[in-house]
Amino acid sequence: MSNDTVQIWETRTEEQPYAFLSDKESKDSNRYGQKINLREINPDWEEGQSMHINGNPEVGENPNRNKQHGFFFTADNCIGCHACEAACSEKNENPGHIAFRSVGYVEGGSFPNYQRMNISMACNHCDDPVCLKGCPTNAYTKHTEYGAVLQDPETCFGCGYCTWVCPYNAPQLDPIKGEVSKCNMCVDRLEVGLKPSCVSACLGNALDFGVIENIPENREEALTTIPGFPDPSITHPNIRFQQTKGMPEEVSRTDSSPVKYHRNEKGEYKPQVDQKNGLTKYWNLGRLSSRENPLVLFTLLSQMSIGAFAISLIASLTGISSFETFRNSNFYAPFAITTLLLIGFGMFMSTTHLGKPMRFYRGFNNLRYSPVCREGLGIAIFMAMLAFHILFSLPADSTFQYIFQAIFSTEITSLIAVDSAQRIASTFGCLALLGGASALYYMYRCYRIKARPFWNHWQAATDFGGNALTLGALLTSAFILTFYVSSGQAFNTALSLLGGVLVLGLALQGIGLKAHARDMNGKEHEGAVSHYIQLSTFGKTYLFRNLLLGSSLLAGIVLLLTGTGQLSSLFIWAGLGLAVLCSSLIGRALFYVLVVPTTMPGAFFWKNKGFEEHARDIGLANMPQAGIVTDKH
Amino acid sequence: MFFGRKNRKPIVIPPKPVKEWKYSTCNYCSTGCTIELGLDATGKVITSRGHAGADVNRGKLCIKGLQEHELFNSAGRGLDPLMRQRPQDDFQKVNWTQALDYSAEKIQAIQQQYGRDAFAVVSTGQLMTEEFYTLGKLTRGCIGTNNYDGNTTLCMASAVSGYKRTFGLDGPPGCYDDFEHTDCLMAFGSNLPEQHPVIYWRLKEARETRKFPLIVVDPRVTMFAQFADIHLPITPGTDCVLINSMLHVIFKEGLEDRAYLEANTNGLAELEELVKQYDPITAQHICGIDEDTIRQVARLYAKANTAMSIWTMGINQSTHGSDGVCNINNLNLCTGNIGKPGGTSLSITGQCNAMGTREWSSCSGLPGYRYLENEKDREDVAKFWGIDEEFFPKQRGMAQTDIFPAIENGDIKGMWLVATNPMTSMANTARIRKMLEKLDLLIVQDCYEDVETNQYAHVYFPASVWAEKQGCHTNTERRVNLTRSALAPPGNAKSDFWIFNQMAKRFPNGKLINFPDETEAVFDEMKALSKGKDRTLDISGMTYDKIEAAKGIQWPYREGTEGLKGEARLYSDGKFPTTNGKANLIAINFIDNNERPNEQYPFWLNSGRLVEHFHTRTRTGKIANGNKFSPTPFMEMNPDAAEKLGIKHQHYVRLVSRRGDAVVMVQLTQRVPPNMVFVPFHFHDCVNRLTLGLLDPYSRQPAFKQCAVQIEHVDQLEAAQLNKERRRF
Repeated sequence: MSNDTVQIWETRTEEQPYAFLSDKESKDSNRYGQKINLREINPDWEEGQSMHINGNPEVGENPNRNKQHGFFFTADNCIGCHACEAACSEKNENPGHIAFRSVGYVEGGSFPNYQRMNISMACNHCDDPVCLKGCPTNAYTKHTEYGAVLQDPETCFGCGYCTWVCPYNAPQLDPIKGEVSKCNMCVDRLEVGLKPSCVSACLGNALDFGVIENIPENREEALTTIPGFPDPSITHPNIRFQQTKGMPEEVSRTDSSPVKYHRNEKGEYKPQVDQKNGLTKYWNLGRLSSRENPLVLFTLLSQMSIGAFAISLIASLTGISSFETFRNSNFYAPFAITTLLLIGFGMFMSTTHLGKPMRFYRGFNNLRYSPVCREGLGIAIFMAMLAFHILFSLPADSTFQYIFQAIFSTEITSLIAVDSAQRIASTFGCLALLGGASALYYMYRCYRIKARPFWNHWQAATDFGGNALTLGALLTSAFILTFYVSSGQAFNTALSLLGGVLVLGLALQGIGLKAHARDMNGKEHEGAVSHYIQLSTFGKTYLFRNLLLGSSLLAGIVLLLTGTGQLSSLFIWAGLGLAVLCSSLIGRALFYVLVVPTTMPGAFFWKNKGFEEHARDIGLANMPQAGIVTDKH
Repeated sequence: MFFGRKNRKPIVIPPKPVKEWKYSTCNYCSTGCTIELGLDATGKVITSRGHAGADVNRGKLCIKGLQEHELFNSAGRGLDPLMRQRPQDDFQKVNWTQALDYSAEKIQAIQQQYGRDAFAVVSTGQLMTEEFYTLGKLTRGCIGTNNYDGNTTLCMASAVSGYKRTFGLDGPPGCYDDFEHTDCLMAFGSNLPEQHPVIYWRLKEARETRKFPLIVVDPRVTMFAQFADIHLPITPGTDCVLINSMLHVIFKEGLEDRAYLEANTNGLAELEELVKQYDPITAQHICGIDEDTIRQVARLYAKANTAMSIWTMGINQSTHGSDGVCNINNLNLCTGNIGKPGGTSLSITGQCNAMGTREWSSCSGLPGYRYLENEKDREDVAKFWGIDEEFFPKQRGMAQTDIFPAIENGDIKGMWLVATNPMTSMANTARIRKMLEKLDLLIVQDCYEDVETNQYAHVYFPASVWAEKQGCHTNTERRVNLTRSALAPPGNAKSDFWIFNQMAKRFPNGKLINFPDETEAVFDEMKALSKGKDRTLDISGMTYDKIEAAKGIQWPYREGTEGLKGEARLYSDGKFPTTNGKANLIAINFIDNNERPNEQYPFWLNSGRLVEHFHTRTRTGKIANGNKFSPTPFMEMNPDAAEKLGIKHQHYVRLVSRRGDAVVMVQLTQRVPPNMVFVPFHFHDCVNRLTLGLLDPYSRQPAFKQCAVQIEHVDQLEAAQLNKERRRF
């Protein structure tokens, strides 16, 4: 190295052998069939390419720098001393509430035959980095160097979607900075041949690091999982374990998450419900409010908007006369504008949910992989096409005609014929429908997250679709019925149709919920745990919501069968509509608060949601050294 | 695939532009890890790292050491001396002259009115050795009080006492290298992974390649107990019974090293006679370890080629602390395991410089392991310092744990506390508060102004910490190591060394005794006092530069020694610094004087350390990346016991003992037995509101770990509020 260059990382004087990477050889491919030499996957990569760490053009001398590396954790040995976490936080200068690496534990047995197994976990730099795929801003890169999955906080806009999809809780969303950061594999140390600082700091000889599938000296096995570790098939994580000591048949977590792990007949430890809170049913209405409130509004409003617009447009285009009349009335433009405003407001809410809302435009940077991007694009298309639809629907609107005349002293028809405007509007409307449909589809895809089993079910589709129908029907009926009632015309066909759609939407939701409850109950994943919380902590709320849904469905069917012509039936429908709104709101709030991710077990204070909540309640979180911050959202 | 994106995102990792690395030794525990402090171009400490070339830690550091450099900018540091007439008044900022003048006058006034011993000095195990030596000179030579002790009475006095009773002299005879040679290791009340993680790592390294049996005696299933080949979950306070019974088996089966015993020990007959009463059948009912296991362990230990014992507070902090140490020494003498590679009695000490204070502070006598009771020692030191030897008392005064009750008696009227926090660290907080309220003068010298004891201070001296000053520490294995000054203390804070020197000028003898301005000049004085063929504590060959080059040197290291290595072990030749050169076997009879659980107070209360905290949290409570692992106190409780009482995980309860109460959050775990709870000792207004702290008859160390409590339900909201209020930092 010449004098004018800066070292990528300064090696300590008299550095010890434990700190140096020591892979002599490596396998051709890993157990999932992925090539370990990443140059074989990425032929564009050039020899001697610098990683430009901190802008430094130096090229590392590590002979294995193009091979996939990973952590090796000897679970038998971890003493839970936090040295790895401290070394990591010191190196990366992280504040107390952010940790790229965390140690939690599972425990089992009874005194004195008691066992605690500590688990130290950071990013696993997966073969299939779901964070990278999910990130809408393209902040993630999987590097050919070491296979490191690195994230750029300067690109990130803080949506937190990567924190949803990662099964290991690796990306850290900082509520103060409003951005995500994560383990960087200490690539600066790797470039000079040193293991990451957490590994170098380990005092139990538990944590090691090297080319993946290599078993360190003095170790004998390379397992892909240990009790408490999420299913490796989700992402093919680059971590291997040794655990030769037997564990009790059941191990539990000390944190508030009602999960325990039970050994099945195959000897695998699978998540199970740990009835920490008993079986008493509670309301806990206050706890329905969460940091995801903006998303509750966003999803419901966008579904309502897309649903309403779709119902009215399809009905009018398919020649249902009452809808054709409505479309030609001066109630239609306000209706269409309302749908646009509602979804616009929803989008605004979803943007405020971002850590850095001013970077919202970066939300389309990863159309190739991210369902979040595609959802956003779908909504953008829907809104743009809807806007044009409205623009071209205006010439047919008598109120608009009057205003236009008043301002420009000329007929709008002198610019464009009402018929052609309507045809163009219909074309844009159809395009909006396409945008809306894809928005709804990708909205659903966003929640098909393997690391969140409660969401990862087709019920999310029946719920989103069902809500589009019910809420869409409600919004449409508000306008169409006002129009008919105020103009004294018969409204029964419109009401029957909308009532039918409403009932269909409710039935869809009902079927989904029933199947979801059946599929979650007793399953060997965290979905069962969510369902347990649904039945206990929110037991009464859950029942109330189901009651609302069921009775609305029943009332709707009865009303449809008994005829819908009388004005009095309108009041019953209105009441039913209110119940439906209420059910949707509760249902969606439950959807967000109930999800239990497949994260790692926490400890008694650290990474314990129950304690964090308590510390915020009593004000302990106001002390910076408590390592807990109050949620800003 | 995801590779080869054309526009790579920039990779930004904190660069740490270190211009200079400064050499230092960790200021927390007694492991003695070498740390390098990284200074940037402006001289600011921006990072630190373990010294990879230091033999003790070989580049490793624990959670506390890794973040220790954050201390320099932590909250609550004292920036100016403070004074007030009464503890109820507000403090006034003063300058050093005012603070020192007032204190010196007031001390002398108290001494004139009530006698020289009415003013007490209680120091610590946290200062530099040069500072301890200077404080000793000041206290013994100038102030002239005989009530002078360190808080080391709370942590290793029993080890000192036990070593003195058996070997005739303090000083651990073994070293960490013994792990590499031993064939059996038995740990008594020592939870290395939590208390001394780096020593644990040294042990783990030894066991990576060479498996040898590990026996852990601990009433809790600690991580260390879990990793042991044999775990003995003993009944609290009954270690003596276990060891006596092991000795019973050893003698009965002829497993002892009789040749060694006959050649090198006194008192064999008495010991043999006594342990006859401790047959495993009887002993099992007292110590809670079944007779078969006692025999198994005794045989394993005695038959091992070499075997070693380590212990920490599980032994020291009990009414049989000193006895327990003697008994561990008995076990090792009987099996011929003293002074051998892999065969030793190694006390794992607490504070970073507990050894330094034992060696040089004159707390328990005179510097360099000299005794007040010894006329020659008094003469030598008086001559060396240039004062009248009659100024020295002829017998050691009170220990810390007797000094405090003497305030109750009215015998002590004034006190100077140096880097110690009895409001949190001593047993029975309520009693300590009453005592401190009674003082006419309380001087608190600490680097933190918010140290809890400051509530009762009349004068506060803001001190510097760690690498804000220069000097040496001695670690658990007698290794003297150096800290170079890396930065200046904040505001008007001064090094403890400077404060002692300035105080000395205000006493008549301070004009007779030389108080050098440089710490290395003080080190030279210590070297001169350490010389002597029969002195084991000989540091005369050391210099600061040699210590840094060697990254620590073990004593004895005599003048003229070639190379940079001191002696790794003591007593390898079988010669002991007793009157007849033989080690004393001391027959230990078990007396059950602990407060045991009963119907009203049905649980044993055990206390202990957490890896992320040090002592009373004055430092570690300020560092988020450590404190977050236990920001408030908690209690480990067995879930089966909790179910009977209707106590829930993560709920608050009130613990009540015969002394007081404490509010803690419950952590249910099978780690503790159904009749015991465990509470960490670090937290203010917590476990020591409950503890009894009966004193060991020899060492005067309190039995923190054995008392009885009951558990009561509390209003969760009020308890949470109280818990928060008691955590000022």
